[in-house]
Amino acid sequence: MGALFNYRKPVNMIVMVNAIGYGLLFFYKKPYDPYILLAGLSAVLLIIMGYFTIRKAKMGDEYLYLIISMLSSIGIIMLYRLDRVLGFKQIVWFGMGIALFFASFILYRRINIWKRLTYFYPALSLLLFLATMIFGRSIKGAKNWIIIGRFSIQPSEIIKVLFVFFIAAFLNLYKDKYKELVLLRFKRVEVKPLHILMGIAYLHMGFMVIQQEWGTAVLLFFVYFMLLYVFVDNSQFLLINGVLAAFGGMGGVILVNHVKVRVDTWLNPWADIAGKGYQITQSLFAIGSGGFFGAGLGLGRPDFIPEVNTDFIFSAICEEMGIFGGVAVVLFYFILVYRGFKIVLSTKEYFTKVVAFGITLIFGFQTFIIIGGVIKLIPLTGITLPFISYGGSSLSVSFIALGILQAISAGPLERKEMPDGEAK
Amino acid sequence: MFEIFSSLLKYIFITVIYLFIFAIIRMIYLDIHSMNKGSTLRNQNQPYLKLINRRDNLDFKVEESYVLENSMTVGRDLGNGITIADPFLSGKHAIFISQDGNHLIKDLNSTNSTFVNGEKLADMPVRLKDGDRIHIGQLDFLYVMGLEVK
Repeated sequence: MGALFNYRKPVNMIVMVNAIGYGLLFFYKKPYDPYILLAGLSAVLLIIMGYFTIRKAKMGDEYLYLIISMLSSIGIIMLYRLDRVLGFKQIVWFGMGIALFFASFILYRRINIWKRLTYFYPALSLLLFLATMIFGRSIKGAKNWIIIGRFSIQPSEIIKVLFVFFIAAFLNLYKDKYKELVLLRFKRVEVKPLHILMGIAYLHMGFMVIQQEWGTAVLLFFVYFMLLYVFVDNSQFLLINGVLAAFGGMGGVILVNHVKVRVDTWLNPWADIAGKGYQITQSLFAIGSGGFFGAGLGLGRPDFIPEVNTDFIFSAICEEMGIFGGVAVVLFYFILVYRGFKIVLSTKEYFTKVVAFGITLIFGFQTFIIIGGVIKLIPLTGITLPFISYGGSSLSVSFIALGILQAISAGPLERKEMPDGEAK
Repeated sequence: MFEIFSSLLKYIFITVIYLFIFAIIRMIYLDIHSMNKGSTLRNQNQPYLKLINRRDNLDFKVEESYVLENSMTVGRDLGNGITIADPFLSGKHAIFISQDGNHLIKDLNSTNSTFVNGEKLADMPVRLKDGDRIHIGQLDFLYVMGLEVK
């Protein structure tokens, strides 16, 4: 038990951060609520149990889990400080997320049909789109929620992962012959595999645009573009996609009022502080007022920021934990993405490589899009910060994706004696 | 009261978070460090050290095998050819000296000494044979010669 206080063991530091965080939260408001301590204790126990399971069962990379435990801890503490009910719900989601993490780890490793379901993924995505269109409910301006009983699900979160699986399966199917192979021929027009990939990819993005999910549409494009860049050796095709996207983006800015407003408030939010620029200016005020070490947990006023529980949670973190806290959060995502790349490099199989890279890209770009948005680096689009923002769908899907990444890092289940020739 | 607590603890909070980042990056660094050392030379038929301990009993990062380049030191410091964070190792624990295709081992005045086949090393370097058992810190290694040299 002496090992518990070894500073070299990162898991101890997660425990310490949680102890400080929940300790402060307990004294934050009268009447003191012992449930906070209980909730915190259960969150910490969950993290520790998960960590030791990963170590004892040799489930591959152990850093991934440590990093997201720390991120989730910071997120839950911040959410609890902002809103006790949401914080408590988030802990429940976190527990479920860890369960889903292990479930997806086992499922991905045990079942070996993922690369054969090529057209099943877009079909499922389409089904989810249609379900959202028909049964969808508008929450905060975008019609992208399905309500089942007491739960509301955001299908676009699931579609992100399906999208990556689709591209991976598709590239795996045509990996050597995508240049020559002609699938269909209408008189003089030849349809090659890449055209189909492009069509389905833009269909996904188009649906996202219809649902007013600009952030997810941009995210899908980035993931798609980077996967092409890395795995498809065709610079002409890449250029076409880049030009198309540039025109699409410019067209959006000119034609769609919603996008135009976002770009205008990005260029000059001060023109209309009380109206259109309110979100972004409040976010900037919050980040600025935090200073280096922040106001201290519970001492800032992040309640002025709109959407502070989801999109703008990074601003709240910057206000109360300071720019050092904010930079630490960004650094965590850096390490997470780095670990993802490391896993990609160490896997041999093509399909797994694409999946691992795609999932890493989702984490990376999603963080970039939302943090870049709230610090006014790029135009703001509403998307969640993975593992930190409040939201059951977002957290669950992030954990499922992480479980898959973890499964990939653990390597294939049985074939231990892989002949060397096969890998090359 | 809460204000004082919160504004004091925020420094500790941030410090702990950065210590955590430091710990993770350090582990990753050790990981890459050993990976580079191992992978570049693994197929060149060089002599190597093979770990006998079961790795899951150890709470620090250690590889299954270490390829021995020309002359290499082993110890806890990052400057060594082989760096292992075993608390029972000295900073610079021992040195492998390459000579005529195989290696001599010499203890570098380490606190817990170096043992070859159970015998404690004196100041003199000792020539290693294929299959010799080297005990340093909590670790047991087997000295294996490359195929070419055999």
